[in-house]
Amino acid sequence: MTEPLRILVVEDEALILMQIEMMLEEAGHRVVGTAMTAAEAIAKIEACRPELVLIDLRLADGSSGIEVAQAIRDRAGITAAFMTANARQLTEEMEGATAVISKPFSETVLEAALAYLETCVRRPPPTGPVPNGMRISPQCLARFAAMRP
Amino acid sequence: MESSDAWRQTGRLDTEQGKGDPFAAAVRATRMAMIITDPRQADNPIVFVNDAFLRMTGYARDEIMGRNCRFLQGAGTDRGAVALIREAVTAGRDIAIDILNYRKDGTPFWNALYLSPVTNEAGEVPYFFASQLDVTDRVDAHMRVEQEKAHFEAEVAKRTHDLSQSLATQTMLVHEVDHRVKNNLQMIAALLAMQTKAITDPSARAAMEMMLTRVEALGTVHRRLYQSNDVERFDVAEFARDLSNDLVRGSGRDGIRLHLDLETVEVPVSKAPPVALMMNELITNALKHAFPDERPGRLSVTVAPDGKYFAIKIADDGIGMPIEVMEKRSFGKRLIGTLCRQLNASIAWQSNEPGTTVNIRLPRETADSSETP
Repeated sequence: MTEPLRILVVEDEALILMQIEMMLEEAGHRVVGTAMTAAEAIAKIEACRPELVLIDLRLADGSSGIEVAQAIRDRAGITAAFMTANARQLTEEMEGATAVISKPFSETVLEAALAYLETCVRRPPPTGPVPNGMRISPQCLARFAAMRP
Repeated sequence: MESSDAWRQTGRLDTEQGKGDPFAAAVRATRMAMIITDPRQADNPIVFVNDAFLRMTGYARDEIMGRNCRFLQGAGTDRGAVALIREAVTAGRDIAIDILNYRKDGTPFWNALYLSPVTNEAGEVPYFFASQLDVTDRVDAHMRVEQEKAHFEAEVAKRTHDLSQSLATQTMLVHEVDHRVKNNLQMIAALLAMQTKAITDPSARAAMEMMLTRVEALGTVHRRLYQSNDVERFDVAEFARDLSNDLVRGSGRDGIRLHLDLETVEVPVSKAPPVALMMNELITNALKHAFPDERPGRLSVTVAPDGKYFAIKIADDGIGMPIEVMEKRSFGKRLIGTLCRQLNASIAWQSNEPGTTVNIRLPRETADSSETP
């Protein structure tokens, strides 16, 4: 890894949030902020300037990760990825997010997904197959395909 | 001397115009109610009425002769039907229509009216001829059928709506439960993973790591469930692909090549957890014991249908399973034995040169006690 990725984690289950934070830090990334609601997440996007935002779909106070993805949409330099047990609720184009990682995921799955996302952020297009338990949005797949020689 | 129009003023058969006119006699005698009106006179009055009409309506002849037929109409008469009759009279064309009329005593009846112009040689319409038939029974029966049909249709629509709502509620509930199960599995895995990281004792840590892979294997089962439209079947091959890749990757052993030979085998969802746990034990065992000291090697996982059964084969080209491991009554081996019993599966360990192969044969459907693999 060249330089740690600046990551914002948006997750309302404290235990899962804690595990993801620990895993990201062990993998050498930098968790620049965490949020449990959509409003908190949107505020931290401005304050923490993350490169990657990992977003749970259902958030505390009844808010939705979709609001967070929509706030990030079309903003240069920020990649969004959902982490959810409810991937079916997402539209085909995933509200502009790059990927969805299905819960429950093992640490191995999350590590593989992060490695893939790191390439999406730093050195697109990613090469190799999409890891298990992860789906890339069709528009991102098309964008990556257009980048390949 | 009788006037030439006198025949119209009586129902007596012997006063018909022209002695021996069988048609006039027939019109008087028929049980079909009939009238004749004269559109050349003001308000198109009745100029002839037969006895059947009088019987049907309850009026006396002198009460209705010279009157327009509208006295038959009442509160329930359809204004649209009346307008259609008026248009036909004005246009000088015939019309057949069912209309609600009223007898003299006020009782309503459904009148199957047939009205037609009588045209003379000059092309004029000196008369309108109308026949009437009391079709109250038929119309009432038809209306009852229509009402019952409308009632049943409304009932079916209500039941369909209720069922749709019930289905939507059930579907929402299933999704909610599915979501909670996945989230809870994620939390259990998070707790185990974090606790494992805090353990320094190697054997305790290894046991916790093994437990974590079991929970994660169950998590993979749930992640794969409901991904297809068939919520009752589980594809063992697709699961084996995810699990094998995850376990080999998670082992951090770059020198181990994974070979997958997977054919679709769908089993009832109830079999998914025990199949998943068994495959997890066997693949994890191979990764743990077959390739010590960073020894490179090949691990192959096969899933193949075999008639009413299916086969899972886990083979490695490692050092072979040491006799003490084969004979050890470890928790893992007991777990495999218990899962085989639940699945009615047979299992055979075989030493290769080099390596170990484990062959499992399982019934695809719910185990039948009369069949043993």
